[in-house]
Amino acid sequence: MSGIGPVEPVNTAETDDSYDIIGADAPRLADRLTARWHTLPARTRRTALATAVITLSTIAILLAPTAGSPDHADPYTPMPWPANVTEWRYLGTAAPLNSHATSGLFDFEVSVDNGPPVTLTVADAAFAGLTAHATPEPDFTVLAGTSRRITVEISVSDCSGLPLKADLPFLDVTLRNTRAIQHHSFIFDGAYSRDLSKLLHRACRTRTPAQHPRPTGSARSQNAD
Amino acid sequence: MRQRSLVILTSVLATGALTLTACGSRDNSSGKSGDSGSSSTFTIGVDAPLSGENSNTGLGIQYGSQIAVDDANKNNWVPGVKFKLKAYDDKAQPATGQSNATSITGDKTAIGAVGPLNSGVAQSMQQVFASANMVEISPSNTNPQLTQGKNWQTAKSRPYKTYFRTATTDELQGSFAADYAYNGLKKKKAFVVDDKQTYGAGLAKIFNEKFTAAGGKVVQTDHVNAGDKDFGSLVTKIKNSGADLLYYGGQYDESALITKQLKDAGVKIPLFGGDGMYATAYTDVAGKQAEGDLATAIGVPADTLPAAKTFISTYKAKGYKGDYRGYGAYAYDATTAIIKAVKAVKDANGGKLPSDINDLRSKIVDEVGKSDFQGITGKVSFDQYGDTGNKQLTVYQVVNGEWKAVKTGTAS
Repeated sequence: MSGIGPVEPVNTAETDDSYDIIGADAPRLADRLTARWHTLPARTRRTALATAVITLSTIAILLAPTAGSPDHADPYTPMPWPANVTEWRYLGTAAPLNSHATSGLFDFEVSVDNGPPVTLTVADAAFAGLTAHATPEPDFTVLAGTSRRITVEISVSDCSGLPLKADLPFLDVTLRNTRAIQHHSFIFDGAYSRDLSKLLHRACRTRTPAQHPRPTGSARSQNAD
Repeated sequence: MRQRSLVILTSVLATGALTLTACGSRDNSSGKSGDSGSSSTFTIGVDAPLSGENSNTGLGIQYGSQIAVDDANKNNWVPGVKFKLKAYDDKAQPATGQSNATSITGDKTAIGAVGPLNSGVAQSMQQVFASANMVEISPSNTNPQLTQGKNWQTAKSRPYKTYFRTATTDELQGSFAADYAYNGLKKKKAFVVDDKQTYGAGLAKIFNEKFTAAGGKVVQTDHVNAGDKDFGSLVTKIKNSGADLLYYGGQYDESALITKQLKDAGVKIPLFGGDGMYATAYTDVAGKQAEGDLATAIGVPADTLPAAKTFISTYKAKGYKGDYRGYGAYAYDATTAIIKAVKAVKDANGGKLPSDINDLRSKIVDEVGKSDFQGITGKVSFDQYGDTGNKQLTVYQVVNGEWKAVKTGTAS
């Protein structure tokens, strides 16, 4: 039962907002920066502090007139969590599956509604015998108010235990913005379910219990026992 | 069958009587009216277990609705119209829920209802609301049959056009839990238990199917009764089964005792359940023995929703009892959907509400079906079955005595 968290808030050096993690094993950013700070020579630390004070004072002086003016005062807009503003929509297969396919290319439209840019990493695809990654780059960023067409390659690495029909298949994605890191499942029905089932059927229809067709890597799990 | 006929007869008589009464209660002294110089006050009924079993989450529904009504009145969401909430305690009993539904529909000022908590209670109430043509929105019912019919897996068919929900279904919840158990936790052998209730048995069945489809093995299944306290024989069966996970379909009242007795017997496997378990009462009762246990729940954590921030602070500031986290924000949005529907009816009717209560109720049902607004839980809308368009789920785990989100999911 270890390796499930941590899920506690992490304070960043960049902003005063708490930076939260759901379902990720990552060291606290503040802890890393604190440890690094203490390794610096005392003179370097003094210089850095003085520079920071001067910079912050200058910014405060420059911003003071506009902040005090009701005409220019912006209402407070909370920073959204990435999963709450990110949408995935299945578009279809990027290329026809051949009769003995053990992998397939699937197109998705990813959009971010508002807030800061969201960086996404495709981590897993529904079953332990499948691997998934976005092409050509494993990580990609989507800006608020925009959509990107993404191709995900799904490969069958192990047929044993894989169903031939994929009901409600998942795509596990790590979402990052300046507010949080979230491990999130996008769950699909309809066309993606049918197309993935087609791939599973073609890759595994003649399987035997010990069969391992053309392994392409092991599935990556976010959590381990 | 006879019971159903009585329900229909009672509802028809009540509806007939209401056609002879005026619409809402007029309050000419308020001076806050829209077009006519007077204001009308309408009642929204909220039904949930408010005492005894399940009341920790039931009270969260009641007070979630209360905050929505207070916000509507304070901010004059519907000019010339005020709302009041009337709470009904169904004690998690279907017969009591049905009786409450009859009372709500018989109230000449009532224009809609929020609740109930339990799917089994909802089954007994749906027909009553349908006969009265009054909208009912549950913030927590997850059994697929309620909106998609008995044959929902093969041929979906909406049984009642007056029933809606802001919670997603157990088809998703069971799949999400099975995926996390097998692929996330790497559990291979599950012991599946349910409480024989509509919600618990349905969820356990779906988990069983999905966990098996994912590659896991269900080593044994068993049932308990709601209200049981001693699970000694069940613990022995689980211990002897070699299971590495216990999945429970039911409410926190029983599962908190099961996990306590299980761990006390030295069986250190996690108990995984559904939204009925996601309550502070679970960790309060099970204490340290709940550590590492898991539950899926509808929606994303309320504290990750910026729009829910004020709701949470209001709930805490008012000192309301119960736990808002499971369904409170969804009850707020369900109540808001009814209130917004009243406004839509008024706007579409030249700024006046229909004087006939049955006409008003009917039009509210239609407008709720067209809901499309940003609630505090996200976008509020309903599909052709009355199911929510907001299909989000979260896996929570007990970490240091508190429920912590470990994974979220969205269905498209």
